[in-house]
Amino acid sequence: MKNQYNILIAGVGGQGNLVCGCVLAEAALQQGLTPTTGETFGASRRGGTVLTHLRLDADDLGPLIPREQLDLLLGLEPLESLRAAVDLATSRTTAIISMTKIETPESIAGKVKYPEITEIKRSLRAICGKVYSLDPGRIFAETGTRRALNAYMLGAMVTSGVTSLTEEHILRAIQTTLKEWDLNRVAFEAGKKDFRSLVDL
Amino acid sequence: MESSSGSKVLMSGNEAIARGALEAGICFCASYPGTPSTEIAAALMKSSQNHDIYVEWSVNEKVALEACVAASWAGIPALCSMKSLGLNVAADFLLNVNLSGTGAGGVVLVVCDDPRGHSSSNEQDSRFYAKAAYLPLLEPSTCQQAKDVISIALALSQKHRIPVIVRSTTRLSHSRSVVKLREIASATCTTSEELANAPYNVPNPHLKHQELGMKLKEIAQDFEKSKLNSVSGGENTDTLIIASGVAFRYTKEAVDLLNIPSVQIVNLLTSHPLPQKDVVDWIKNRQKVLFVEEVDPFIEDGVLAIAAELHLDEIPTFSGKRNGVVPFFGELDTNTVMDALRSIQGIPQKHQDEQDLNTLKLARQMLIPRRLTFCAGCTHRNVYWALGRVKRRIKEGLIVTGDIGCYSLGVFYNEAMNTMQAMGSGIGTASGLGQLERFGLKQKVVTVAGDSTFFHACLPGLVNAKHKNANMTFLILDNSTTAMTGFQPNPGTSKQRLGNTVVSIESIVRAIEPSHFEIINAVDIDAMIETIHKAVEIDGLKVILVNSVCRLEEQRLGKTHEEFSRVVVDINLCKGENCRICTDQFSCLAIGWNENLKKAEVIENLCIRCGACIPVCPHDAIKGAEP
Ligand code: SF4
Ligand code: SF4
Repeated sequence: MKNQYNILIAGVGGQGNLVCGCVLAEAALQQGLTPTTGETFGASRRGGTVLTHLRLDADDLGPLIPREQLDLLLGLEPLESLRAAVDLATSRTTAIISMTKIETPESIAGKVKYPEITEIKRSLRAICGKVYSLDPGRIFAETGTRRALNAYMLGAMVTSGVTSLTEEHILRAIQTTLKEWDLNRVAFEAGKKDFRSLVDL
Repeated sequence: MESSSGSKVLMSGNEAIARGALEAGICFCASYPGTPSTEIAAALMKSSQNHDIYVEWSVNEKVALEACVAASWAGIPALCSMKSLGLNVAADFLLNVNLSGTGAGGVVLVVCDDPRGHSSSNEQDSRFYAKAAYLPLLEPSTCQQAKDVISIALALSQKHRIPVIVRSTTRLSHSRSVVKLREIASATCTTSEELANAPYNVPNPHLKHQELGMKLKEIAQDFEKSKLNSVSGGENTDTLIIASGVAFRYTKEAVDLLNIPSVQIVNLLTSHPLPQKDVVDWIKNRQKVLFVEEVDPFIEDGVLAIAAELHLDEIPTFSGKRNGVVPFFGELDTNTVMDALRSIQGIPQKHQDEQDLNTLKLARQMLIPRRLTFCAGCTHRNVYWALGRVKRRIKEGLIVTGDIGCYSLGVFYNEAMNTMQAMGSGIGTASGLGQLERFGLKQKVVTVAGDSTFFHACLPGLVNAKHKNANMTFLILDNSTTAMTGFQPNPGTSKQRLGNTVVSIESIVRAIEPSHFEIINAVDIDAMIETIHKAVEIDGLKVILVNSVCRLEEQRLGKTHEEFSRVVVDINLCKGENCRICTDQFSCLAIGWNENLKKAEVIENLCIRCGACIPVCPHDAIKGAEP
């Protein structure tokens, strides 16, 4: 059997989780791989948890990543990243996570408390092999929107060098799959830069 | 969808089925939206801009199947797609037309099951309809197969003049992988001179039954000769796995991960009728046979029946859903298949490290749920809030029955909705409850349905309620779209596709002449409370048409709310912790809690300034901001 590389994108409905999976799958296809993605729908538009499973060179393997087989957790939201990590991550897993939280309806209403980010980070570090926490706050402020979070995270991912996907292929896939190329281009570069400064520290 | 022959593209299972329909030369598609099947007809609808095909969102699945079969009678190849529960609606027709026969055009019926009920109220296995109706059923495993199987199914239907069922499941319909395309059929469709010969079953349905049975035998023999089912893995082994659909892919990976390559796997595409001779060859003289299939032991039972004809010493030990080696409920995945294989092969379970378990336990304690709720400003919330207030005023209490749509979330909203089953069953159950006063039922009966559900399945219930003078109030929550499945137009939608006509819910209801009828606006909560209260107290069938708004649809159409004045909480009037009615009970997503001030606050970027919450606050603290 080929060595599988498995990516899970975890986030909240409305964050563009599914298109992010499409970009990666498209990039993999253009690189000559045979990707498979599994998507969770339905609840996705209504603010629920959304997961996209991506297997970079799966041929006909199932769309869902089995336990202990997760290589990269691309987290668009901290709480949802932790939820996904609890189910699937191990020391094999690298996690690249945006730490900008999205409160839940109950935590907004003050009925429960959203966990402390430092606690989430600590827990992620205990579960995953490596954890990179990113703060897209600056790029959100600069561009005045959260729509480019995917491109930002992909920029970070490319710089981490954890996958075999090349910058060239990902950029091209962003261009063909996402709208708003200018915005996404800027966010992609910001993601690259922020990741580099993380590693330099 | 439109890429050229030979190219390899990423497609979801549903898109692949739609592309398969184009390649097969299908010219007619009718469907009713339902997750996880919706994207099939949606993709074909998009393609109808470039190809000469007819695609419609029918009023329900039965009408969709009837329309498709009629097309086939006139020589037009047709595809009908629906979700699992939709086939229940279409089943009455299916179990007649299987005998009458479809036409020269052929009909492919695609049914998408939803194991675990991710987007459904049950996890039914629709394959039993193939058995009940004596129809062939194919189960593709991959997106490529999902595409290719449509041509095969259509040819089979054209040859035997019966509908051919293709079964998908959520994980196939909603997964994407690489599909190699063939040419889209170029021939145009033309109706035949005459309709199919005598499509009815009387006076001798039993002879039609006999004829159908013979067809099915012939098809089983065709399947035996075909290359549709494949065997992979090691040779001459003791253990065989028979797997179908997406579960075949889990099985392959489970075998790889457990590193037991000697096991043989059958990828069964022709789940019904089973290729009897092949089955005998596969299972004879094995020691163990394991079945891996989504939801029910359908193939398992079929194979067990065939095995009854073997000599005793040739019969293997069977494992699957019957003996509990594979769980009989819920969705499968690679891990469940690995567990099943460990159990029959005597491979020990993996030992979990104590420290890891502890880490996970601590992490789990942090996870707060992210529950589904109505969107900010959703008018369904307003309706349920109003119902809650009416309930308080009526000493006998209310029973609120309901059914399927975004408004189903009412069961989670302060228990505002008490019952929820099938499309249209809200009014059906209410019309029964509406007769029970004579036996002592005290509560007032109210039922709710959305506009798409109204057309789909409420009309017979409504007529019944009027005819029998059921004592009940029917609220029609009309937001003018099928929001749950992605905003498909229905007959009541004001903006229609070219060539379609608006059918007015108001005119239909007025024609039925309920004892009381009113139209109200769902943003005005105070008026709603009064109107519903008044109606509930009147005797007879009362209908209230509630003009509602889908905020997602608004967002999708680019509507902003800038022109309305902001809605704010006056912290001098807000009673804080002693009250919390707006956050804990009304619970609009856009009302938050300010921890520092210990007061409610409106979250600017979520609030759509509808003002519905203003009358909710008993202390007049929520108000429109001065412009
Ligand atoms: S309902 Fe009114 S008084 Fe009560 S918490 Fe909300 S804003 Fe404050
Ligand atoms: S005005 Fe009130 S009900 Fe409407 S969206 Fe804003 S907070 Fe929610």
